[in-house]
Amino acid sequence: MDAQCQPRQRLLYLHARTPSVFSEILGYTLIEPVKGFEIEISGGEFEWPYGTVHDAVVDGWQIVQFPHLQSPFSDTELDVVGYEFILQKMEVIP
Amino acid sequence: MNDSKHLLTDVDMARFLVSGYHVVELELPAGLNEKIAGKLDALTANPGDAITEAVPELWKVVEHPQVRGALISLLGEDYGVNSHRHWHCKLPGSGDMQWHQDGTNNRGTTIDRLLGLYYPHTITAEMGPTVIVPGTQFRNAPTDRMATYSNIRGQVPLTVQAGTFAITHYDLWHGTASNRSGVKRHMIKFLFNRTSENRTPSWNHDPAALNRERDWDARDRAQDAVNILSFGNPLGVSQSDHYKERIIRHACWEELMGNQE
Repeated sequence: MDAQCQPRQRLLYLHARTPSVFSEILGYTLIEPVKGFEIEISGGEFEWPYGTVHDAVVDGWQIVQFPHLQSPFSDTELDVVGYEFILQKMEVIP
Repeated sequence: MNDSKHLLTDVDMARFLVSGYHVVELELPAGLNEKIAGKLDALTANPGDAITEAVPELWKVVEHPQVRGALISLLGEDYGVNSHRHWHCKLPGSGDMQWHQDGTNNRGTTIDRLLGLYYPHTITAEMGPTVIVPGTQFRNAPTDRMATYSNIRGQVPLTVQAGTFAITHYDLWHGTASNRSGVKRHMIKFLFNRTSENRTPSWNHDPAALNRERDWDARDRAQDAVNILSFGNPLGVSQSDHYKERIIRHACWEELMGNQE
């Protein structure tokens, strides 16, 4: 079967304010399964496709990794921004 | 002191502690920006730290009273100009530079090191502006862990006028967008260091500025130092992170006031 006709994995990294899927998204990265695709920081106004992880799920994205909460928690140190959810859509890419 | 009229206010200082940057639009002599941009356009190799020898006019920028006033406010009267500096020339068609903090991950919660970013020509969104994330300066985050972010809430592209000098906390998350224009984008980065702890405020401090009650109605719209320090949340982070950064800010403010423990 032609590889172009096979569903391919689209990836969406969403960094939410809290581990809840209903909290606001603070970080967004879409990765298309296309050769040579690169992610990019916007030099202008960025339009946020989704407000929450739940919005993305409603739009058909499936969560494949939930935020890791087992790591040590510090009550004084700040580290990365938000809690990372990884989502996918399996689609045939024309 | 020639620089005294350019010292920052309490509100400026509070905003810096919250957001980690301060933008100065310099009143430079006519033609200086153009002269510097022209010399940079003509360079065929990057001289590294010797950029100030290749383009000595850059000293007129670094030593401008508006720059000095802001740096004295943030780092003290005896701040140092680090010998490292770098010309960032972003060529037409070049891609973005992903999010990072400079140096290794051994972050402080004080204001000891600053970056100074000078733009000799006007920067548009298409020219690959520097993009910063206000409020990330106190995060001890390995740059590797930023690889899965592309756009972050509250990010600010520095699309600025010619002659802008942006001062950022050394640890502020930053990157650049792609240059989709047909022109070279120039930025010269400088580093500045604190050399001694403050014994008194080094900015244009008004003790009365601290006599404000917390205004729970104003919150993010606050326009005074006390409430900016308490409620500022440019990233829109969670309550847990916001409480932690508020504690760090207040400790940093006390240090800057000269109230070391």
